[in-house]
Amino acid sequence: MRLPFFEILERAKKGPAMEEKEFDMSIFHRTQALQKKFGIKYDPETPLVIDGDLPDRIYQAGRELFLELGAYCPNTRRAIKISEAELDREIAECPTAVDLGAGQDRVKMAHRSVAGNEDVVVVAGLQTLPFSDEQTMETIYYGCARDRCVDGIWGGIILKHDQRHEIQAGAPSEIYQYRKTVEALRRAINRAGRPGMILVNNAPSSVATIAMFDEEAGLRRTDYMEVTGMSEMKVTYDDLNRTAYALAHGTPIHGTHSSIIGGFSANPEGAAIVAVAASLQLISIHKAECFRCGTVDARIKSRVSRAQLWVAGTGIQALNRNTKLIVDGTIGDHPAAGPGTKQYLYESAAGHIVSTVMGAHSTEGTRKFVVGLTPNYGTPLESRWMGEVCKSAVGIDFATADRLVRYLLAKYEDNLVDAPAGATFEELYDRDRLEPLPKYRKLYEEVKNEIQTQGLVFKDWSN
Amino acid sequence: MISADIPTEHQELLDQLKDMIVAIDSAGACRTAERIVAEKIDPMRAIKYSIAEAALAIGHKFDTGECFLPHLVMVGDLMDQVTMILEVGIPQEDCLKKKVVVIGAVQGDMHSVGKNLVGTMLRSGGFEVHDLGVDVPSATFIQKAKDVKADLIALSSLLTTTMPYQREVIDDLVSMGLRHKFKVIIGGGPVTSEYAVEIGADAYGKDAVDALVVAKKMFGME
Repeated sequence: MRLPFFEILERAKKGPAMEEKEFDMSIFHRTQALQKKFGIKYDPETPLVIDGDLPDRIYQAGRELFLELGAYCPNTRRAIKISEAELDREIAECPTAVDLGAGQDRVKMAHRSVAGNEDVVVVAGLQTLPFSDEQTMETIYYGCARDRCVDGIWGGIILKHDQRHEIQAGAPSEIYQYRKTVEALRRAINRAGRPGMILVNNAPSSVATIAMFDEEAGLRRTDYMEVTGMSEMKVTYDDLNRTAYALAHGTPIHGTHSSIIGGFSANPEGAAIVAVAASLQLISIHKAECFRCGTVDARIKSRVSRAQLWVAGTGIQALNRNTKLIVDGTIGDHPAAGPGTKQYLYESAAGHIVSTVMGAHSTEGTRKFVVGLTPNYGTPLESRWMGEVCKSAVGIDFATADRLVRYLLAKYEDNLVDAPAGATFEELYDRDRLEPLPKYRKLYEEVKNEIQTQGLVFKDWSN
Repeated sequence: MISADIPTEHQELLDQLKDMIVAIDSAGACRTAERIVAEKIDPMRAIKYSIAEAALAIGHKFDTGECFLPHLVMVGDLMDQVTMILEVGIPQEDCLKKKVVVIGAVQGDMHSVGKNLVGTMLRSGGFEVHDLGVDVPSATFIQKAKDVKADLIALSSLLTTTMPYQREVIDDLVSMGLRHKFKVIIGGGPVTSEYAVEIGADAYGKDAVDALVVAKKMFGME
């Protein structure tokens, strides 16, 4: 039997007491030692690790780190630790597949193998994007939902109610507005003729996230509850509120955590170890059935630098080679470049390809990394791109993936700091026809053909 | 930097202290600080040169990916240790008064790493930093700033829906008649320099290194 949730809550109250700084510095000291112990070394010349046992050593190191440190609860200032036997049971008894969506839109999100042929689940949409008004948001999400290459969509938020009142996290306005947002998402997918497709949205606070659940008008038991582990290797009561609700309500739990290159993980090697450790945290402590194994870089506003591809890709590979867990990657979700640029497509493609080839699903949507308060800074075409690339990458071999990623890196990695800003929905789309303007469509097709010549054969979704 | 007005061996000690701090050699740095005191070298010179130059060097290393947040934490701790040794012989009233910063992630925001990076960078750069943690209400920022006689309030926001709380702190300072007492710098993932202007902040830091540069410039500490 997996560790009961109430046992986790007890350990949050009674685990070893320590200050947060002590826990944080432990991550650094232990990952430095584990790199040496397991001979883990990042080679910038090999962004994709395609042979050898490095992923297995990273798995062992991550496992050892999690067993040693546990996860830190800032609310109680204690570490939640589990034993090796308990971890083994968590891994053995965690589901290897979970059904998401309903009716004709139902999909099975199952464990995938590295460079395998198993179906990949894609939840695209424009993750946490701010919108100017409900009608525009619903229009854009309807556009996303029409694409058969995506299995679900992530929602955003309208930043002002009635275009006047700011929405603030933790305030009553957050609950109201997120609830109204998800109702608009439901209308969008109904209009697209896909009433059962997966919907996800995640408010800053647990209470606003929970308020979005409503079988008639909001998130359903066939969607999933997003639970975030705070970077790095932390779990707050607010995170556990979401778990508590999902368990009581009967909704699958999807966990997400990002190790931080430059943070207490320090270097890419440390970040890979922490990415694995935190994944084990997500299933054991947050009770996730599926989870994202991810990383960010403290200095770069993109998720697809060379080092990040290595960290996330190798971490995902480590988990898929050594367990039957359901892993999400979504490495390509947040490019530095903006919509309407070739760089957005290159960056996100690199991440999507690595995610799929390493055996992960991609279920966390997409948008430019930094959008600030600019509303409507995304279009259905980036969502479609995510679906098209992730699904077309199923079954490609390592050599092809490696060639594609190197090709794409050469296109964008020198431009991550001063990436092109791109444009908004109004500047890129014919709103009435809900089609990309000719310039954007041409750009999209050019990049698609370009990547096709490098070995990614795009599936035809027109039927 | 070789200064013409002190003996070469003294300058060498000051450079040695700087290098040992950058190398995070605690024992070596403390021994060197003790020698500086024993040799009756002006401790204020060591603080203003060795420690300040070390901070610059570490900031550069962080920017280029040679060192990371944990190194900043260790350097900050070491700088505090070294400063205590150097200040032994200095009358309290002559000790270098650091500019005081109150930093936190605003209400509703649980993200700490960016805030930690900025706080640690500011500390390494010679500021006295009071870190309030995450999910900090406006009233808490302001009360702490008053309590510690802060010079600067640093507000971190990583979500678009917590950015309004950065504005709230500034608006509350204005309504309490305290705006003139504290400088305010804002930063975080979705935050922009334009937003800083819009809400009346004094400055914007695009990342941890930039925040230090901007803060030092604000107080004439370049």
